[in-house]
Amino acid sequence: MRIGVLWNKLADPKNIPRLFAFSLGIILIVGLIVPMALNPDQLYPRPAPQVQVDEGLAIAPYDRGGEVLSQPGIIKPQYPDNAEALGMITGYMSPPAQWISSISPYFGTSIYSSPGGLIDEILYYTRGFDTILESSILMMSFIIASWLSINYTMNRKNDEKEIKADVKKAINESTQVANEVKVNDLKARSKQLRRDN
Amino acid sequence: MDFVTLGGNLLGTIPLGDIVLYVTPFNLFLFAVLLGFTLLIALSKPETQVEATMHNLNNTEVKVGPKEFKQRRFLSIICGIASAGAMITGDLFNFTLFMALVGILNIGIVSAVKQTTVLNSAFNYGLIAMMCSLPLFGGAAIILAATGTLSLAVLSQMPASPMVVFGAVLMLIGILGESGVAPFFASKAEMFRTAGSPFIVIIHLSSLFIIVRAVEILLLVLW
Amino acid sequence: MLFIPPYVPEAFLTMYLPAIYAGLIVGFIATMAIAMKRQEIHILILTDLVGLAMIFVVSAVGTDLAEALILPGLVVELAETLAISEILITREMRIIEQDPRRNLSKSSSIFPQPFSLNMEIMTTAPNFIALVLIGYGIFLTGFTGGAVAGGGIVLYALSKKARGLPVLMLDGIAGVSGISWCLWIIGFLLFFVAPQYWLLSLFLAACGLLLKVASKVGLIGLLMREDIDKE
Repeated sequence: MRIGVLWNKLADPKNIPRLFAFSLGIILIVGLIVPMALNPDQLYPRPAPQVQVDEGLAIAPYDRGGEVLSQPGIIKPQYPDNAEALGMITGYMSPPAQWISSISPYFGTSIYSSPGGLIDEILYYTRGFDTILESSILMMSFIIASWLSINYTMNRKNDEKEIKADVKKAINESTQVANEVKVNDLKARSKQLRRDN
Repeated sequence: MDFVTLGGNLLGTIPLGDIVLYVTPFNLFLFAVLLGFTLLIALSKPETQVEATMHNLNNTEVKVGPKEFKQRRFLSIICGIASAGAMITGDLFNFTLFMALVGILNIGIVSAVKQTTVLNSAFNYGLIAMMCSLPLFGGAAIILAATGTLSLAVLSQMPASPMVVFGAVLMLIGILGESGVAPFFASKAEMFRTAGSPFIVIIHLSSLFIIVRAVEILLLVLW
Repeated sequence: MLFIPPYVPEAFLTMYLPAIYAGLIVGFIATMAIAMKRQEIHILILTDLVGLAMIFVVSAVGTDLAEALILPGLVVELAETLAISEILITREMRIIEQDPRRNLSKSSSIFPQPFSLNMEIMTTAPNFIALVLIGYGIFLTGFTGGAVAGGGIVLYALSKKARGLPVLMLDGIAGVSGISWCLWIIGFLLFFVAPQYWLLSLFLAACGLLLKVASKVGLIGLLMREDIDKE
């Protein structure tokens, strides 16, 4: 095949995602022969699975030590010097969460995502900037989607037939309601008259 | 490689917990240029294209409506700020998030146009941007698994193992796709073919600057 | 009692290879499927599978940090699907608008068309289920809580009978969402400017995110409502 034909194919936007997917797939499969191993010296390590459950802790898989409002929890961030109130959020539990943890050991995951806990410390404090970007991505794509739907795809000001049908329906319904109100009104008035007499 | 060999002396850092933004003369220059350009965009008005009509001796104007103009200007300003932020970030995962944000904003800037060819290429670019989340975030996660850190300051001091190289290659293909460099240029190049010039140009400029910054980051990680 | 170990436990080290290989293989299958398919709507759905592979690769690290990093990945994937599918619908509608009598293109295999949704649950239960979901969402707070509470609002909005897009209401709710987002930014800055007020910042962040995500998801429900019953 001549190279010009190839370039022409590459200039069609429709082929590009498929070409990209193909090259990405090749690189992924090359990854199977690369020697890989997890470095044991990681940030924010967690205990082995089931250890905390077996010990019977109240907020089982997510207990990272610390006491509410007094003692910080134990965490291992990249730069401990940059965060002064380090660990306080990890040790914190909101009052409802405290109450739930006192009555049952089975709500660890729910309590973990209520205010306080290690994930909140990471998401809001030590790596809070990541979360800001992430939620701005959500906001931007929402702006794009809702702008399109309000101004174009769901803009019903253009299809007049439908609006007419809807208006007719609304008029019918409102006359029905008005009739019902009238009948009820009459009934109530006659009742009142009878009672007065 | 060190910060000093690549970008000049470290002028200062902005510590935000684990994510430390750092400023060297190189990064500061890129940052300032992007912010200046964003300011220009915020003040300017969109151009109008004039097209020749088929079978007729007439010209038609392709204009940008006021509603469309507002949305486009907003998205372009955010796009400029986001790419300026990507210039000074000092965290690998943070950088990939900045890239994802710039990618979705690029799509958004052209999403309101009426030309179906532009929408078609925006859709195809969007498909690539969605697929890019695997190489970008996955590559960063593989580097995290191999070295145990995401901070560029620490990563630049570490020797590169084969696993780090693999993570970096994954990130590279993600960057190529997201910023629309050859051979994946067609979908992004077609997106510019519409009216409203200064806003369209930020698409081009942001991917240009981000690829410069990505090269710096890959050098920091690999050397 | 050992709350966190100094190094990653043996269990995660042995699980790493199977987990990341699973991720790479899932990614390979998904990308090859995309490379072979021609229909655009199929490609759009298959990209979700690529996102799944990304979650495999990130979660293979197995630390608390990895758990926190999954959330951005998940949200980015979701947000891009939302925007890009809307662009696909817009494109198809523009094509139809320009030439209504043209045959449908083979490659897109999508025809934007309203559908009717008639289920019993939408008349009997929405109030109760929405209340329970919103209550649980408020307890959870943050992103998860926002998603749960937003699910409740979606169900409520979907089962409403009145039609017509309330643009004013949409603008209002979007405004609430934006203001709560700003609350959270203030909370984030307070963390570093005044660390002694960390509790205030925590609640600003958690409640701001809850309000923001819940209102956004609820708005999606309002928008979806427009497509239903449009015979």
